[in-house]
Amino acid sequence: MSKQKLQISLNNDLGTVQSIIGSLPADKRIILEAGTSFIKRYGSRGISLIKQTWKQKVGSVAYVVADLKCMDRGGQEIFIAKNAGADAATVLGTAPVETLNEFIEKSAELGIDAIVDMLNVTFPFEILGSLKTIPPYVMLHLGVEERLHTEKQIPYQDCGRIKGSYTTTIAIAGGETPRDVRRVFFNGGDIAVIWEAINTNPRETTVLANQFLSTLKI
Amino acid sequence: MAQYHKTFEAFSEKLRAHTRYLHIALNNTMDEALRITGQIPPSDRILLEAGTPLIKQFGIDAVRALKIRRPDLYVIADIKCADLSEKEINLAQAAGADAVTAVGTAPTATLNAFISLSAQYRMDSLIDMMNIKDPLTVLRELPTQPTIVMLHRGVDETQNNKEKQIPFYQIKQIKGNYSSVFIDIGGGDEFKEIQSAIFNDADIVMVWKAFYQGDSNIPKLTQKFLELVQ
Repeated sequence: MSKQKLQISLNNDLGTVQSIIGSLPADKRIILEAGTSFIKRYGSRGISLIKQTWKQKVGSVAYVVADLKCMDRGGQEIFIAKNAGADAATVLGTAPVETLNEFIEKSAELGIDAIVDMLNVTFPFEILGSLKTIPPYVMLHLGVEERLHTEKQIPYQDCGRIKGSYTTTIAIAGGETPRDVRRVFFNGGDIAVIWEAINTNPRETTVLANQFLSTLKI
Repeated sequence: MAQYHKTFEAFSEKLRAHTRYLHIALNNTMDEALRITGQIPPSDRILLEAGTPLIKQFGIDAVRALKIRRPDLYVIADIKCADLSEKEINLAQAAGADAVTAVGTAPTATLNAFISLSAQYRMDSLIDMMNIKDPLTVLRELPTQPTIVMLHRGVDETQNNKEKQIPFYQIKQIKGNYSSVFIDIGGGDEFKEIQSAIFNDADIVMVWKAFYQGDSNIPKLTQKFLELVQ
């Protein structure tokens, strides 16, 4: 079984993001994510800054995910993420299959992990079946507006289905409490993604992160 | 003058009905984007776009820089929003964008929030129907329609799948149901495809490739496209 990880998505202004990173425990089970709106606000320098800030703090290199949510021009976008120092980058599962294949192929060439984000995908299994190569990561995802305004639930059930057929790491996003994080691992997920709790209470970062980390078993 | 559409459709303060527009997308480096932007002749029929890779590389400052260089032009922030619309719309508005984009494959709850927030912030909303077989099924879920619907064949689709066609027939389908929505066609840069788009009643046609050929005379090229898009 793979090691359980906590992915913290950073979606604030630069100063707050730096202070959140400064308050996080130096725990190797943490993955930092440059959130989509953060990237759109600051561009690739935002990604580099997250990487540098963690390195200055911990002394070791962080694993940083660039949440590009790529929809087209897979090759060009993966290059932006790689140049900024990202270790992984995301592409939407709803993107054209040509874009998904291009993104996964180019990311392997550049030595960066591709993550297919299954936001608003009813059958993630079908998307994976249409790809030339299975990506190293798949993200099952309940969007923010979906969580706030609809009855939709996090699709935990897809985790077992995918793992039954493919060898890939599964990240699950959309839950925001320690209970949700526990559920991710209970359902076979490898990475629990959170953002809201810490981004809306940056001053409580240390306490909140420790609460979330305490739910990880390994 | 403000153009108010039917109550269930978004309105545009900047786009006029029965007018055809040329949509120029800028996607490579910032220097190149600014060089091209500076040479585009003034016209109220031009929509300038800060492309998604440009924004992901340079941040929302890319939109701001285009608007500062050409405050007279209509600027689209191609943020391709898929979630968390409030944060992204805030960014685009603060940068001076006239329109902002979301992907049609985003959850319906996101599209609804996106359309109503764009209107609240006085920006036009553009839903990009890339990789959606039947855009009408997406539009039918929305209580308020976006200002612009873009029928779009992606760059990777165009390069890696010669069989994928731009679904021109959908222009009339959408207009038949939502008469005030502006239809933007993207992904066909050839003159023939532009002619087909106009022939099929598109309101807006997007181009980008021709502007990136080194020897392009930008004012002449723009004029040529504007003549095609009438």
